[in-house]
Amino acid sequence: MRKTEPDYRDNSEGKAINEQEAIRRMQLSDDPSAQYYAAWWLGRNRSQNPEAIQLLRHALHQRRPKDLSAEVEENAVARNAARALGKLGQVAKESIPDLVEILHDDDYGLREAASRSLGQLQATAAIIPILQRLSSGPGIAGAREPGTPRLKEPCDAMLEALGDIGQASTDVISIIKLYVNHERTVVHSSACRALLQLTGDANWGEELVRLLKHDQLQVRRAALMDLGATGWRQALEAISETLAENSLKLIAIKGLSEKSKSEEIDIPLLDAMDSLL
Amino acid sequence: MDSQELLTIQNLEIQSLVAAVHAAKTADDLLTTTENLAASAHPDGAQCLLEILGFNNPGAAVAAVDGLVAIGQPVVVKLLESLDNSNYTARSWAVRALAGIGDSRGLSVLEHALAQDIGPSVRRAAACGLGNLILSTETELELSQCKRCLTALINASRDSEWVVRYAVTVGLEKRLKQDVSNKDWVIRSQNVLCALAGEEEDEKIVRQRARLALMRLDFS
Repeated sequence: MRKTEPDYRDNSEGKAINEQEAIRRMQLSDDPSAQYYAAWWLGRNRSQNPEAIQLLRHALHQRRPKDLSAEVEENAVARNAARALGKLGQVAKESIPDLVEILHDDDYGLREAASRSLGQLQATAAIIPILQRLSSGPGIAGAREPGTPRLKEPCDAMLEALGDIGQASTDVISIIKLYVNHERTVVHSSACRALLQLTGDANWGEELVRLLKHDQLQVRRAALMDLGATGWRQALEAISETLAENSLKLIAIKGLSEKSKSEEIDIPLLDAMDSLL
Repeated sequence: MDSQELLTIQNLEIQSLVAAVHAAKTADDLLTTTENLAASAHPDGAQCLLEILGFNNPGAAVAAVDGLVAIGQPVVVKLLESLDNSNYTARSWAVRALAGIGDSRGLSVLEHALAQDIGPSVRRAAACGLGNLILSTETELELSQCKRCLTALINASRDSEWVVRYAVTVGLEKRLKQDVSNKDWVIRSQNVLCALAGEEEDEKIVRQRARLALMRLDFS
């Protein structure tokens, strides 16, 4: 369905672009900012064009140091290409080997983006490499990287990917459990989310609901997104009452509806949505 | 106690509630004091509630919007004025308050916000507001206002953001629940709801909400 696109504007020219234009810009290898925008556009609009997918795969291998003057992150184009591929669904499955390779890249941000996309693509091929990166536990993989606010590994993204991929093997569960008591609440929250997805055990859901009352807004926001991703319907009321932006609560409740297999109209859920508009 | 005395006591109460907001040191304090002021629903608290919209504290802003909506019509002019000289976030909360109050003086603002605002949360509030708008009691004016609301909602039914399309279904349901005398507009709105309930719509939650609207309006 073609929709009006008030916020897809290209800020440089103030005009909306189309798929052909995004593909053209994706090829401008001497203009990373054009490529960066094009990659985002292709993901945002869920392009199903085979040429676009080839270009995004190619861009995953593009490396460029952080450009301080332009305030652009390291390997910005590759990161955006990784994020875009995760949004494209079935047609992007051929990019899974490239994304798996990137799980071992030196760039933390790229490993993070690849993890999330592999989760979205439900790539079982990513399970073993992710377990390898996480198996050293909170003391090593989950320890702080000296001189930065980051951990050694993008633990939250990797744990979430394991949950999204959805294979509840003993290895997967036992490695996720290593992170359940991680001192960083976002990591703790991601571990609970993955365990709830994989085991359906309500205890993990209740733990996430507890986080909705956390002092920090950041934590409450993360817990909202995590509960939405799990589709744990019992959380509806707690989500509605969380002190956070209504936009996020609406996304979380939409998640509950999407994860439900039933096509039946869930009136209390829709009423909760309505009252947050 | 005569009415003048009662007024003075009320004024003092509002003043102390406002002072408590200004004295708030933490985000939690701000939320509690805003909730207390909002609960008074007194027009004298309006200026302070408007200021809170610009504080970048979503919890307090929600409470302030509730308070402004509770004050209702007396605050509409102030709200419309505040749109010119506040930052984007504050404006978006003000649009939300106008949407909640439903005074027809806000119609142009809501139309414009739904069609043009860059923030999906503002467009979604505007769509609801156009459903809530209390129309004129004058027949001719009512007809033209109703047409403007429905047109704005119909035009937004292809918005790129699911949450806006969702709000459009809610807005259309509310509009059509009241008697719409122009049958042509009813049919056009109905067609939009049918499109949003069908496979053409990507998002399950929007399809479900449109189906619920059709059921409630007995169009299915």
